[in-house]
Parts: sequence; structure tokens; C-alpha cells
Amino acid sequence: MMKQLPVFRLHNRFFLTLLLLAVFVWSLFSIKWNADVFHAGGIPTMLQILEGLIHPDLSADVLGKGLSSAWITLAYAVAGMSLAVIYAFIVGILASGTLTSSRLARLSSKVFFRGILGLTRSIHELIWAWLFVAAVGLSPYAAILALAIPYGGILGRIFADMLNDVPDPPIKALKSAGATRIQTLIYGYLPLIWADMISYTMYRFECSIRSSAIMSFVGLGGLGYQIQLSLADLRYNQVWTYIFFLIGLVLFVDIWSNFVRKGLTERRRRRGFSTGWRSTLFTILLIIGSWVYITLGENAHLFELLSDKNIEYAKKFFGGLIGLHEKQPAFLDAGSWAAALKLTLETLEMSIMAIGFATIAAFVTVIPAARNIANGSLTLSKKWYNWPLYGFVRILYIFSRSVPELVWAMMIIFIFKPGLLPGAIALALHNFGILGKLWAEVIEDMDHRPIRNLASAGASKIQILFYGILPTVLPRFLTYILYRWEVIMRTTIVVGFVGAGGLGMDFKLAMSFFQYTQITLLLLCYMILVIIADFASESTRKAVK
Amino acid sequence: MKKWLSALILVMLVFSLAACGQKDEKTGEGKKDSTTKEVFKIGAIPDQNAADLDKGMTAVANYLSEKTGMKVEFVPSVDYAALVTGFQRGEIHMAWFGGLTSVQARNLVPEAESIVQRPRDAEFHSVFITQAGSKINKLEDLKGKSFTFGSESSTSGHLMPRYFLTEAGIDPNKDFDGKPNFSGSHDTTYKLIESGAFKAGALNEAVWESAVKERKVDTKKVKVFYTTPAYYDYNWTINSNVEDVFGKGTKQKVKDALLSITGDQKEIANLFQTDSFVETKNDNYKKIEEVAKELKIIK
Repeated sequence: MMKQLPVFRLHNRFFLTLLLLAVFVWSLFSIKWNADVFHAGGIPTMLQILEGLIHPDLSADVLGKGLSSAWITLAYAVAGMSLAVIYAFIVGILASGTLTSSRLARLSSKVFFRGILGLTRSIHELIWAWLFVAAVGLSPYAAILALAIPYGGILGRIFADMLNDVPDPPIKALKSAGATRIQTLIYGYLPLIWADMISYTMYRFECSIRSSAIMSFVGLGGLGYQIQLSLADLRYNQVWTYIFFLIGLVLFVDIWSNFVRKGLTERRRRRGFSTGWRSTLFTILLIIGSWVYITLGENAHLFELLSDKNIEYAKKFFGGLIGLHEKQPAFLDAGSWAAALKLTLETLEMSIMAIGFATIAAFVTVIPAARNIANGSLTLSKKWYNWPLYGFVRILYIFSRSVPELVWAMMIIFIFKPGLLPGAIALALHNFGILGKLWAEVIEDMDHRPIRNLASAGASKIQILFYGILPTVLPRFLTYILYRWEVIMRTTIVVGFVGAGGLGMDFKLAMSFFQYTQITLLLLCYMILVIIADFASESTRKAVK
Repeated sequence: MKKWLSALILVMLVFSLAACGQKDEKTGEGKKDSTTKEVFKIGAIPDQNAADLDKGMTAVANYLSEKTGMKVEFVPSVDYAALVTGFQRGEIHMAWFGGLTSVQARNLVPEAESIVQRPRDAEFHSVFITQAGSKINKLEDLKGKSFTFGSESSTSGHLMPRYFLTEAGIDPNKDFDGKPNFSGSHDTTYKLIESGAFKAGALNEAVWESAVKERKVDTKKVKVFYTTPAYYDYNWTINSNVEDVFGKGTKQKVKDALLSITGDQKEIANLFQTDSFVETKNDNYKKIEEVAKELKIIK
């Protein structure tokens, strides 16, 4: 990379910020802002929903159902992630090009396998689920594979990036000592990135719980299934009970992954069981338990997936997707393309609006949410309200990110005029918690010295924020914004399912009417969006560097 | 330490897979024995309260099992299309479909047959609703207003309302304020009108009546302004593979069993809001099929 002058870099960032703001404002113009946007008639319904929050249904029947659905959700997520890790591990290593020697081979293997990873993660897990249901029927494996493929794609890419970022000297040392490629990989690369790989996997695991929950939308069981049913029956008190189960599950994974991370960094050797060993044992038990449950409890067998019947249906289905028996496939029709591209633009606008709202909300709340600000170690000032505020914001974050986008969308559709806006708000509500959490961690991990210096020089809180914290953390904040934006782009399909517009709604219709070639067309549009997102975020990241 | 820990995680991943492989074989054998005693699976479109549906359909399963001697099981479904797909794959042997879904299912499984329905299904209606104070009094007034259907796969919540709108000269794709919405269920539709999210909507008359009766909807806020002419709706559709899997004469046996249901089977009568079932045939749904083709919902 060229070395740029600091002033130039500063300008770069300034222009970038302006550009991003402009894009956000542009997206706002897609909405007709008038009194129709909000309607007060929905407030009684809204209150009914909130009443359910205060009085969740705690009858034994519902609790029992919640518990068993929570287990199904967890088991699918665990099984899916265990497959994802294997896939990511193998393809990730191949995509990093560390196993190839010649330059050409390395480049081609990189391009090819990165392409595979990109393709698998560009399609939302819900779409994968639906594709699998159509091909193999309503088997738990549809859910598990649907989770494994996109998550494997994401993990694989990160693994490949980590392998590529490994510092050179140890590898060179091994090579000059005569180690083969495989030996370099096992003794050089892998030990250096183990900890990061596992900690990132655990982070994605939390996300996979939520994904597992929404698998119900194609007819697979779990917490999402119960939430959806009670929402359809207008039993809001039950909806909240199930959401609490989901929150519990997310919290549980959060705590567990903290233990695993702690185990990884624990350096003292101790006799007996350390936290690390315990959590490893627990992981093993959970993985075995999940697979045993799925094969025995749900009576689903991996080999049955390849039965003649399934192969025949899969053939029929994929034949339908590429328009084998159709005279006029939608993806060869100019009119269908025009309509779909219009929806693509809408989807793009919705995703930009969503990330814009989420950014604003997270920005306002992130400062009190950082532990090192709450305990005063960063700013050297301690106020009585720091801790309560910290707790409040953190609970808000957990709540916001535990409730799936879809559930947010189903609720706010009652008070906002259906269309792009409620979709964007639902996405923002869900992502604000994630963004806030990630940002707070950035602040917690930042170098304390410059800030303390400012504080002891008498800077006020606002001054510390603008001259101390923000300049340091902004590049990383931006990375996370862009990264979440990519995720939001793929998730727009989910809120589209409940009438928020964009490509998702049409996708649902095409699914219900079995219009296979239309589905192909919409999938192509999604890929276009993901390519745009990849390109935009890659070039922005470079500009910030 | 770190290395060990991580290696262990990997090992156990592999192990768990291997372990599940073994179990596959074992239970695979057990499964072969059970294929001789195949379970007759029934399904229902999820267009009403899930708990009631579960209770009523389980009662149907028990009744059929008692009458036919087969093992009958109800398989719940959250999605109309998922049920149709299950039927197409032969995993659901008989289903309680709406008019449109039965036509879709028969389109995918040509030999399938609509066999039994309720008396009221021969004369089904949809209602169009709007806010009590609105100036909408007939279908033509809907021009330029926002509108919501129910589930896109519903006959009474989408297909037939759309048909009657088209008859009244309104193109649902162009003439409303924005595109029409699909609320997903009849209950959600009246809630959305009540809240003011949409100016008007259409839903199943039976669901509307029971919502009014159970006071789930505030009739001070929502009114019916149009009821459609009658059309054929719900029916039991039986799959083409039934005779192959369960032996000759099964279709007739199931049909007889359904027709023998009376008001005495309380749980069934409560769910279906009927005390008897009558025969029906594929031809009754010609109209629905035509409309669905005309609206390009099926080919």
C-alpha cells in the first residue's frame, strides 16, 4: 500500500463520511413523508402487544412448549454450526492459498474457492432452507444444511483472511527448516490462529441461534414456529414468552462463549477442571446431544437425504428453477427483469435506511454502554448514574438483538404505513443492538492512555468524546457499519415476507405460487445486491485504511 | 493448553459425526420394519388458530384411525405452500385444503382427488371490510385506497376477492394506493383494518363471523361493506399414492369414515363448525381453477 500523507487521509475520511451521509439521505427520499406514514389507530394494538410483554403467558403448557422448542432451535443451530466449521475449515484453507506453491496455482485456487465461499454466503439461510425443503422435504436436515452453508461461507472467508494475515517470520523459519506445505500449515499457520478462529466461531454461533429460530418460515420447527403461530393467533402474551426463551438462549450462548474465550486465553496450567476444559467438555456434550436428538428423537437420517425419491424431486425442482419445462422463463423476460430491478433498488434503499437508523441509535447510546466508561477507568470520572445507565443500555441491546427482525416487523406494521419504512425500522431495531454491542467492545478494547491524558488535561466529556474517543474508534466503527450493512442487505428478504416490500415480498409470492423461474430471477437480483455490497464495503474499507 | 483445547474441539466434531453415522445405520434397520405399517398422515392449511386446529385435527386423526384401522397422524404446518409441497412429495396423504390450495395440489399431483367437504363450502363467501367512518361503500370506491388481502395462498382471503375486484373493474396491481398487501392470515387482516394500517381488506366470512362473536374485533371501528357471491371453497383432498401405500379400497374407506362424522364428534364439529360432511368432486373447483389461471397463479 502506498503511504499517504496524514492530511490526505483525514480528507479521505471526511469525504467518505459525507458520501455515506449523502447516500443515507438519498435513501430517505424513497419514502413519501406525510401524515399517512404513521397512523395512531394502531396504538391500541401496539398496547395490546406491550401488555403481553408485561404479562407473558407462564402457564405450564406454554412453558413446556417453549422449553422443547428452545431445545430444537439450539440443536439445529449446534448441528448446523458443527457442519459449518468443517466446511469452513476445509474450504477456508484452500481459499487462503497456503497449500499451493506456484503463484498461478495459488491465485486460481484463491479465486475459485473464495468464489465458492462468496456464493454460499450471498444467499440468506432462509432461502437455503426453502431450497432444501423443496428438494428434500421437511426434514431437520433442511434446517441444518441451510444453516451450515451460509455460515460455513462466512466462517470460511474469515478463516482464509486470518490465514492470509499470519505474520511472515515464523512461516519463513519453518520453510527454511525444510517443512512441507502441510507441515507449515499444521505447525505454522494453524497454531497462530486457533484462538481467533474459535472465538469468531463462537460469535457467529450466537447469530446462528437467531437464524435457527426463523427457519420456521419454511415450515421447520423451533421457537420461531411457536412465535409465528401465536402471532397469527393474536396471542401476544404467548409471543413474549417464546421471545423470552429466545433471549434466554442468546444470553446462554453469550455467557458460554465468554467462558470458551476465557479458556482459550487462560495460560496457567492447573490440575483438574479449568473453565476452558469444562466448556470444551460441554461443547462436546452439546454437539453429540444435538446430533443424537436429531437422528433418534426426530428420526431423521442423513443417508435418507440421498434416496431416489429425493433425488427425483431435487431434479424436478432444480429443473424448474432453470426453466426446463417452461416456454417463457421469467429470467429471460425483459418485463420481469424491469419489475425485479425496481424491487432491487427498493431493497437497496431499505437496507441503507435501516443501517442509517441503526447507526444513529447506536451512536447515541454506545458511550454509556462501554464498561470502561461505566467504571470511570477511561475518563477518570465516576458518576453514580454510570452503572445503572450501563445496565439499562446493555439490557436494551440484548433485547433489541434477541427479537428477530421478523417479529419487530410484524409489530411495527400496525403503526406505520406498510412499505419500505417499517421494514427498515424493523431491521434497524434488530441491528442497533448488535452494532451497539460490537462498538462498545471496540471502546472497551481501545488504548486508554490518550483519553486519560485528555481527561487529566481538563477536557470535558464532550471534548473527550470528539477529540479522544471518536477519532480512535471511527475506522473500526465504520468497518462494523459496513459489515452489518452487508448482513442487512441479505436479511431484507425476511422482512419482505411480512409485507415490508422489496424483493422479499415477491419472493414469498413466487414461492406460494410455485413460479420457479421467477424465483431464479429474484435470486439473481439478490446476487447483484450482494456483489454491490461487497464492492462498496471493500472499497470503503480501503479508503479508511 | 490452547492447542490442546482446540484440537479437542476438532476431534469431537469428527467424533460426533462418526457417532451419528453409526446411529443412522441402527435406526435405519428399525425403520425398514415400520414401513410395512405406514402412518396415514393428514394435514391442514394453517388458516386459523393453531391450538384449535391441532386439537380438532388430532380428533379427526383419532376418529379416522378408529374407523379405518390405520395409524393416522396429524402433521401441523405453518405455511400453505409447505403443506402443498408435502402433499406433492406424497408425505401428506390427505389434507384439508382451501379451494386454491386444493387446485394447486391437484395441479402438482394430477391423480389427487377432492372427496369431501362441508355443506357450507359449496356456498362460501368472503367479506370486504373497512373502517367504520370511511366513505367506502362499494368495491368501486376502493380505487386509490390502500388494501390488504390475507395469505396469498388463500381462496377466501385472496383469490376470490381479487376475482370479484377485477369483475368490478379494479386492477388490484395498479388501482390501489401502492401495491396490495398480504397479511398472512384472516385474523391479521381485520386487525390491520382496525388499526388503520390499511383502508380496506378482504377475508373469510366464517372467520369474520367468529371474530365478531368472540369480540376479537371492535365492530365500532370496522364494518363490512360488501359480501361476495357464493363460490366453492375448502375440501378434503386425498393423495394419488394412497391406494399403492395402504392397499386397494383405502380411498373409499377414508371417504366413508369422513362422511360418517356427525355432531357427536364434538371436537371435530367445533373446529369445522359443522355437524356433517358431504361428498364433493374435482369438477366443483373448475371455477376456482379458471380464476387461478386467469390471474396467473397457476399454469
